[in-house]
Amino acid sequence: MKTLARRLGFYVVALWAAVSLNFLIPRLMPGNPVDIMLSKLAQHGPVTPATRQSIELLLGADSGEPLWKQYVEYLGQLLHGDLGISVSQYPTPVTTVIAQTLPWTIGLVGLATVVSFVLGVGLGTLAGWKRGSWLDSFIPVTTMFQSIPYFWLALILLYLFGSVWMISPLNGGYDVYDTMPGWNLPFIGSVISHGILPAATIVISSVGGWMLGMRNMMVSTLAEDYIVTAEAKGLRPGRVMRTYAARNAVLPSVAGFAISLGFVVAGSIVTESVFSYPGIGSALMGAVGSNDYALMQGIFLVITLSVLGANFVVDLLYAVIDPRTRQRG
Amino acid sequence: MKLLPSGRRSGRRTLTLVAAGCAAALTLAACSGGSSSGDSTGGGDAKNSSVTIAGNNGAMTENFNPFMAGTALAGTLGVIYEPLYYYNLASDQKPQPLLATGFSWNDDGTQLTITTRDGVKWSDGEPFSANDVAYTFNLLHDTPALNTSGLAATAKATDDHTVVLTFKGTSYMQEPSILGNQAIVPEHVWKNIADPTKDINKNPVGTGPYMFKSFTPQSYVLEKNPNYWEAGKPVIQQVRYISLDTADAASAALTAGQADWMSSFLPGLDQLLKGHQELSYVNTPALTTSVFTCSSTALGCKGPQTDPAVRQAIYYAMDRTQLNKLAGGGFAGEASPTLLLPDRDASWIADPANVTTPQSADTAKADQILDAAGWTKGSDGIRSKDGQKLSLTIQTVSGWSDYISINDTLKQQLKAVGIDLKPVQLAWNEWNANETNGTYQLSLDSIGLGASSNPYFTYEGKYDSANTAKVGESAAAGNSGRYSNPTVDKALATAGATNDEAVQKAQYAIVQQEVVKDMPYIPIYINSALTEFNNTRVTGWPTNDNKYAFAATWKAWDNGIVLKNLTPAK
Repeated sequence: MKTLARRLGFYVVALWAAVSLNFLIPRLMPGNPVDIMLSKLAQHGPVTPATRQSIELLLGADSGEPLWKQYVEYLGQLLHGDLGISVSQYPTPVTTVIAQTLPWTIGLVGLATVVSFVLGVGLGTLAGWKRGSWLDSFIPVTTMFQSIPYFWLALILLYLFGSVWMISPLNGGYDVYDTMPGWNLPFIGSVISHGILPAATIVISSVGGWMLGMRNMMVSTLAEDYIVTAEAKGLRPGRVMRTYAARNAVLPSVAGFAISLGFVVAGSIVTESVFSYPGIGSALMGAVGSNDYALMQGIFLVITLSVLGANFVVDLLYAVIDPRTRQRG
Repeated sequence: MKLLPSGRRSGRRTLTLVAAGCAAALTLAACSGGSSSGDSTGGGDAKNSSVTIAGNNGAMTENFNPFMAGTALAGTLGVIYEPLYYYNLASDQKPQPLLATGFSWNDDGTQLTITTRDGVKWSDGEPFSANDVAYTFNLLHDTPALNTSGLAATAKATDDHTVVLTFKGTSYMQEPSILGNQAIVPEHVWKNIADPTKDINKNPVGTGPYMFKSFTPQSYVLEKNPNYWEAGKPVIQQVRYISLDTADAASAALTAGQADWMSSFLPGLDQLLKGHQELSYVNTPALTTSVFTCSSTALGCKGPQTDPAVRQAIYYAMDRTQLNKLAGGGFAGEASPTLLLPDRDASWIADPANVTTPQSADTAKADQILDAAGWTKGSDGIRSKDGQKLSLTIQTVSGWSDYISINDTLKQQLKAVGIDLKPVQLAWNEWNANETNGTYQLSLDSIGLGASSNPYFTYEGKYDSANTAKVGESAAAGNSGRYSNPTVDKALATAGATNDEAVQKAQYAIVQQEVVKDMPYIPIYINSALTEFNNTRVTGWPTNDNKYAFAATWKAWDNGIVLKNLTPAK
């Protein structure tokens, strides 16, 4: 219980620091939303001092308020789940934009990360168990895929599967031409067929790391005395591999998995831009491109929360897998 | 490689991440050739015809509020809602009547009488009348937050097809923004909307050729308005908008027949067209890429660029043919030192010598100008005067690859005449703040579109001292070059107070004479605006020979004009 309280305390402090930085950083950047919107309108037609006045009224920009007061208001709004109004999508609230895009990202990148982890750890266990087998020599191939810049790999696969062989859709999260979103079979089928290629690129480019890490941990764990003991006792090889060797060898990978889960949101930007996937990465790109601070802040907050949340869950999980990490007090 | 979104340059940066890969993949796509099918919905048949427009809108959120020009979804202006007149900024044609059939000013330019079209119906079946026009302009007048054009007129419908707008002062120059840049909304719908500044207008009711059908964040559909006033139009049944993040995705969708219309800069366009007979494109250069200079010492600008001789020398020393080849992809148009568009506005340019800029470098002339102004070459080849080196910083936005390449090329070109140019790349925010606040020496940017092709709208914004501010204060109204010249101010005031084109022309001649001499914005070339079409399913797109509309997908009012001109392919 004491361990849990201490961890919780740490996460509260980390959250506060992240939220405060989130507030501060955009305000230290040059330019303000009104000027930005004006410069954009100026590309379409004449801008007069009256335009400035009308945009100020529209966005409710009141720069006269002291910073601490804005900070207090910001914290208050956050507590109410109000992330403000997106400037580039005015008058849509930031929460709507996030709610509309986040499920796509979690569905695609989240699932792909889990698949990659399970696959990598599983194959790594086998490779470590049977050193020198064909699986072992397969590892350099997977690490080669990992070393290819991700966007390049994704573009090539998209070109081959999408444009040349036409097996896979070219873009988007589902077939916008013939299906309507909802709980119907054509839509769900189309979501799956649109997700396979992007998910496959993520798995291909990340499975090598898990595999290599797991395989090497297996090798060193297999040299431990307790493995020899277990074998000497005459336990079945499968049991030795899973319960004795793999359980110990997987620990560093679990910590790595926590971090990569947290970056599911942030790491999706390239995937989503290559495949024009309608996720939160696309929304973040758009927000950065149009200097939409409110939306950027909202998305950064989601990223922060997901990193902290994933770490917290794994912290708890770690205590279950490895009793040594439970602090003795 | 970049996809120009809603006509704003900021979109360019988002794509640099994947730029290298795109270029290669595109080359591959261009080489393959003839692999386009995927045409599932079929053409030739008006009943099931549909056209798909690919934009770069990122995550789309529902918003059909025609008063929010910056954030409303594409198609709101021009396709669902119509203005009174249509102004074609791609050619020199006269405004075409849409919801109005005529207008006239009183003698002192304080009253505008508009005759509205009879027999027009809203998409919900209610009749359109002059009352709706009056309601729209009064709504703007009473809601300052929506009044982006600074319209200070009250409107009154004197009968069902006549509306009179009354202004406080002479307002001839409001004409294009009233007639051509304001969507008319139905009174019977909008009088029930509680707060027009926050409403997303879920089920838009307009007079345009298409009306709202369905929306999802990935795609939305408009369908033919059966009540449309122009007989026999539109022909195409359905219009679909999709959003693609990169120019590469857009060009793949175009060749695969999933999109029919997009506006992207594609470096390998010629090759792509060779492999795909069904594709065509139109180039509508409109935004003049220029070196903006902080020109006025009186307003606080510092640096050698405050000397007009330096600006003149830069103007003559640049080799624009090379710049177009290296940065413009060869698609850029010839600019004019008067900042007008030579093709469209030739009749407004008084001196034939000022129609186009020199295309090759004239270093002898640049040297002569600098020598005469007292800038002497030092041992390192860089000029200086009174201990001040002729060294200038030029800023642009990191990620705008074509502009960065202009700066790097200019550095080489200007070195020949003893000018030391230091290119810097900044984040868009900082670049923009520097320009509006005047804390820069040179800045690479482009001149925006005016409300109509009348030069007043370019000149007033860029040259009128009323639209500038001291260095350190925001000149967001447009004159970021800090140009201040009483002769120009006077000429603009005179031109703005009349609607007699002959008088205006004489005044613009004075402006042109001054600005060609002072050169606060040094034009380079007119940026290409490429729009690509797939002719498999629909035809009737604008061509380079027939620019009946400004074809870019981001160009608000023109979308409606193009869409109602399309017919199914045979």
